[in-house]
Amino acid sequence: MPSRTVTLANPTGLHARPAKVFAQAASASGHQVRLTKGDTTVNGRSVLSVLTLDCHNGDRITIDVEGDEAESVLTSLVELVESGLGEHEAGS
Amino acid sequence: MSAARLRGSGAAPGVAIGAPFVVEPPVTELDDPGPSGPPAAEKVRLHAALVQAAAELHAMADRMRSVAGEEAEIFEAHAAFAEDPEVEEQAAPLIDAGRSAVAAVAAAFGAFRALLAASSNDYMAARAADLDDVCSRVIAILSGVRRGYDLPEGRSVLLARELTPSQTAEIPRDRIAGIVTETGSPTSHAAILARTLGIPAVVGASGVLTVAAGASCVAVDGRTGEVHVEPDADVLAALTARAAEEEARRAELSAASDEPGRTSDGVAVELVANVAGRDDLAAAVAAGAEGAGLVRTELLFQDRRSEPTVDEQASYYGEVLAAFPGRRVVFRTLDVGADKPLPFVAREPEPNPALGVRGIRLSLRRPKLFEDQLRALLRAHAARPGGGVTGVMFPLVSRVDEVVAARSELERVAGDEGVPLDSVEVGVMVEVPSAALAAGRIAPYVDFFSVGTNDLLQYLFAVDRLVAEVAELTDVCEPLVLDLIAHVVDNASAHGTWVGVCGETASDPEVAGALVGLGVRELSMVPGALGEVKDLLRRHDLSALRSVADAARHAPDAAAARRILARLT
Repeated sequence: MPSRTVTLANPTGLHARPAKVFAQAASASGHQVRLTKGDTTVNGRSVLSVLTLDCHNGDRITIDVEGDEAESVLTSLVELVESGLGEHEAGS
Repeated sequence: MSAARLRGSGAAPGVAIGAPFVVEPPVTELDDPGPSGPPAAEKVRLHAALVQAAAELHAMADRMRSVAGEEAEIFEAHAAFAEDPEVEEQAAPLIDAGRSAVAAVAAAFGAFRALLAASSNDYMAARAADLDDVCSRVIAILSGVRRGYDLPEGRSVLLARELTPSQTAEIPRDRIAGIVTETGSPTSHAAILARTLGIPAVVGASGVLTVAAGASCVAVDGRTGEVHVEPDADVLAALTARAAEEEARRAELSAASDEPGRTSDGVAVELVANVAGRDDLAAAVAAGAEGAGLVRTELLFQDRRSEPTVDEQASYYGEVLAAFPGRRVVFRTLDVGADKPLPFVAREPEPNPALGVRGIRLSLRRPKLFEDQLRALLRAHAARPGGGVTGVMFPLVSRVDEVVAARSELERVAGDEGVPLDSVEVGVMVEVPSAALAAGRIAPYVDFFSVGTNDLLQYLFAVDRLVAEVAELTDVCEPLVLDLIAHVVDNASAHGTWVGVCGETASDPEVAGALVGLGVRELSMVPGALGEVKDLLRRHDLSALRSVADAARHAPDAAAARRILARLT
């Protein structure tokens, strides 16, 4: 089961809109997506679970995906997080 | 039923008169009727209820989008909660164990609610109330107790213990004359929504549900916070007259919102807005602001663990500039101190943060932080659509050498970036008495001064504004304060430096008139105050404003000075 660890670069972390953007993308992938911060793992398709994981700018989170095209879904979710989850430019 | 009067806090201005309509609290705790069928059927009912709730919330977001775009987002977020797969996931085993759909969904939402409510983050804790709103909608659908069917027949004054955002939005706007709640603060969500929608509202009117039960008429004054139950003819006449007056006044002021600020003899006074975040931009433009006189930049830095990148900052500054094409926009560089520590600026706590390393003192000690902000401001300026002057203002300056150092850093970064400084102005926020007294020494190095009256008063009188017992020792109308502002203006104009005021006092029309009389030519304030200030200035010529300001400077004290300023109204 492929997994990658990324650092949240967008200002609000996984709160408000970004939490929704992530959960919706995870749902749309049709795959099981799990999100881990520290020793807590939650359903990445659940906006409430993502919100209550309380991830801030600068936190490291691990995304893992299960399913037929897990590798490409994982890549696109990582890209989504790195691109700032719909918030303005994240990288300098 | 006899006449009665209550007082709460005015939450949205305006006068409303109408029959009371009591809005019942949302259903959150029901007598659990028990499952209405086998677990499999109960799960199907729950799924259908969640789908219906989400559909209703999406529809509400669509309706809100046309009147209050920002508010629509709230309902989209609520819809996402109703669609959350974990809710069904967590409810399922409870239903299998014999619980009803109502009990199971309440438990599932309740688990998330507990996590949110326990968060130390204000944003997260506030989402707990959102979750309650969604949960009660789902429960109402499941139990057949539908809200929204019970609507007022005509335009009514809504009375409630508390109104949730969805209750406020669900009742058609044309049926709501006004809103009175027993609890809540003017910053509560329902109050903000009422202001956005232009509905007069009073919150914190404790006892209104009991007093107004069965009444035929309730009158609300959203400015004073007064609520009259069964008002008599005199009260009604007075309030009706007030309502007509306010309406006429609003129409009059908004008709002039595109007119420039000036005195009756045509002396231009730039009337501009204070901007603390994106949300303020639309309000500023709508109120006819001629630019922005104080754009705070703290928002970008607070509540995060690493410093914002140059691109991230430039993108925000660009958004602000785009709202005011061709206008002057003044950005204040980072203004934080030890009372608002930033995680990425490791610092020792200070016994007295107001007098410690803050404002420009912090920027000069953190060269990279300062350089990044200047770079972002210059990039946003260079890319600015429609042109216009961009101001860079340094906060908490107390000495000339700080201005020299900050200015040369700006020039160095501009050279590095290849951005010409022709339409960039450099300014200093005058809020430390030593800077006010040194105005003549600082003026050669800057294009403008902006007097920050809030902090200037605090430092001048050695009074903490937040300590109510001493707060009354300060008043911008103290003749010596007017003298000090006159000193700044006189020394600035000798060097061609213009002077603005960006404290709260600029929004008081009479005080604003006196400031213009002293030679101030830019006033920056909350957008809502622009109309009244503009109106007062346009009714007086400069010599009248000068003579009133002069008389106020010679008054024995602030109270006498204010009586003199009252001549302007």
